[in-house]
Amino acid sequence: MKKLIALLAFLFAQTALADINIFSCEPEWASLSQELGGDKVSVFSATTGLQDPHFIQARPSLIAKARNSDLLVCTGAELEIGWLPLLQRKSGNSAIYDGALGHFMAADYVSLANIPTSLDRSHGDVHVAGNPHIQTSPLNIKIVAKALNQRLQQIDPTNAEYYQQRWQQFDTRWQAAIENWQQQATSLKGMPIVVQHDSWVYLTDWLQLKTVAVLEAKPGVPPTIGDLNKVLNTLQQTPAMAVISAGYQSTKASDWLVSKTDIHRLVLPFTVGGTKQSKDLFSLFDHTIQMLKSVQP
Amino acid sequence: MKPLKLVLLITAALTPMSPVFADDLNDLKAEIAQMRADYEQRIQQLEQRLAANDLSTTKLNDEIKDVPPAPIANNLTSKNSFNPAISMVLNGNFNQYQNNPEDYALDGFSVQGEGDLGKQGFSLGESELTLSANIDQALYGQTTIALHEHEGETEIEIEEAFIESLGLANGLTARAGRFFSPIGYLNQRHIHAWNFADAPLIYRGLFGNQLSTDGLKLSYVLPTDQLFEVGASVGAGDSYPGGGEHSGIGDWLIYAKTGGDIGIESSWQASISHWQSSPEDRAYSGGHSHDAASASSAVFNGDTNITNLSLVYKWAKNGNFRQQNFSLIGEYFLLNDDGVITHSDEFARYDGKQYGGYVEGVYQFNPQWRSGVRYDWVASNHKASDNELLADAGLDGNYSNPQRSSVMVEYLPSEFSRIRAQVNYDQSYSDDDLQLLLQYTVSLGAHGAHSY
Repeated sequence: MKKLIALLAFLFAQTALADINIFSCEPEWASLSQELGGDKVSVFSATTGLQDPHFIQARPSLIAKARNSDLLVCTGAELEIGWLPLLQRKSGNSAIYDGALGHFMAADYVSLANIPTSLDRSHGDVHVAGNPHIQTSPLNIKIVAKALNQRLQQIDPTNAEYYQQRWQQFDTRWQAAIENWQQQATSLKGMPIVVQHDSWVYLTDWLQLKTVAVLEAKPGVPPTIGDLNKVLNTLQQTPAMAVISAGYQSTKASDWLVSKTDIHRLVLPFTVGGTKQSKDLFSLFDHTIQMLKSVQP
Repeated sequence: MKPLKLVLLITAALTPMSPVFADDLNDLKAEIAQMRADYEQRIQQLEQRLAANDLSTTKLNDEIKDVPPAPIANNLTSKNSFNPAISMVLNGNFNQYQNNPEDYALDGFSVQGEGDLGKQGFSLGESELTLSANIDQALYGQTTIALHEHEGETEIEIEEAFIESLGLANGLTARAGRFFSPIGYLNQRHIHAWNFADAPLIYRGLFGNQLSTDGLKLSYVLPTDQLFEVGASVGAGDSYPGGGEHSGIGDWLIYAKTGGDIGIESSWQASISHWQSSPEDRAYSGGHSHDAASASSAVFNGDTNITNLSLVYKWAKNGNFRQQNFSLIGEYFLLNDDGVITHSDEFARYDGKQYGGYVEGVYQFNPQWRSGVRYDWVASNHKASDNELLADAGLDGNYSNPQRSSVMVEYLPSEFSRIRAQVNYDQSYSDDDLQLLLQYTVSLGAHGAHSY
């Protein structure tokens, strides 16, 4: 009996000490959660920087992780519509259902670009709520960080002060980093580029890059040779310096373009872990800007 | 008072009738200068205040930007905005068989329900309408209604209609209504989500393609790092290979499931399930002697159990499923029957075994093309005190081992559409058959999520 009590006491002590388990859908939110949560949280990322977050299998391992998590930190805006609802339901974990305190969707806090004016599947894989790839601008991350800090404090009030401090430190560092990046990127202003998929709008807005063409004529649909020829025509009128894609996208179309023109191909990190050099949120933008500048004459 | 004075003075200065003296003029000038200075100071103060206000407005604006935007007020009424997610799956087929599909038989099995071969030539496949939504804070609901043509008439079938708890307790989920029995892997997926156009032979033989249950299901995900899920269901026990009306629990099932990742690129899942029922008058309507004259079919009474093992393995380069992936699925079923077969006035003690499985591998080599192969086989071992009754029930032919090999290739214009071509070399009965199945499957409406 004593042993049992000791065991129970041990288990309860464990729960009292236990970290906040964070299930993040994408590596950028895992990185942010770790920055803000420090050693009070343990963070799991459901995807890597080399996986397309639209197409993830609701794998057994993800169900087990979702089952044991206290907080979901995901992009939202239907980016994870093909798998996250299943994980929520199959996990039987009410803490992470829609509307629960443990359900944090970053896109809810950012004003989204490219909200479609008409909805029709013949337009490709359009996102009803707007473009969900918000992590390509550090300004968005600043806003999300503030909201996530508040959420962490709500979920774990005993450590509220700790989170507040971590957030303040992060915000100061992040602000300084943004100013630094903007300074570095002044020469990039107006740089003409071609993008693979419409997933860079927040980056191009922030750095004022000029998107001349999109390889995917319809979002999510691999471009046909006809689509590519159109892009080629556009480029003859207005040449671009680089064609940009993310690590998880096929390089077939951009390879073709590189073979036809003297455009540079850039596989930008897109998220943490998208390239070897982008190990956290800071190096993500360091490397992005560095790569963009590398193709400038 | 000053403005009034100014007005008076100006009036006075402008009035030609009033005499103006030098001293007064100087005084006046001084006063005006004084006033101007005074006013300039005030204007400056005002400007400063305005600027300060401006600053705090931008600050406020910044803060507002940070606050999540409130929903835009509009004139939507709640009548339509709470509509459930609706999706419709449409199917069309073109089938060619070497043999007459009417002659089809699966040796050692009595094929029931929708287990027969699809219509030769052009035909409309099953059209499925699925509606789903959260009902309230506690429940989720989903239904799939299938429409299909059978002998010239359109039949409506409720494939699924269930409610499910939303967070009953940590890891526990309850489901009630009609649902696909949690036996095996394919059985819990809609036919349109299968990798091949037709069911594996063992599914065809045991269930007439798919086993569903009207009842209750409980599942529990253990709080472990690796997935362990256990569950049980109870049901009416009236769908084949069950049978009859049971006043209480007609069938029950238990299952266990586990799975995980192997590195970043591979994942797997294994499950075991066991189903049991005591069918009353399970009708073998597909017996060899089924013509209008012998309207009464052979029936089975006794105990039946089925055990299933399933294994799924999936691979994708970098775990990035979109570009290339490979999946390997294998399942094995074993059915035990112990009871009595009755036909007309005759009866026979019957001890039967039916078993079999399939292995399929599918490779998606780019986002729009997939190809796969499948091998499936079944076998049976029936012992009856009177073999004639086995023939009446359509269970004869356990001397042969039916098997089939299939190849398929799919073109997927998007996530929502698929065109498939499949070739089967079918050895279900004594006459081997070469089959060609062409099929389109599209999904309209809400974006569904497919389970692992």
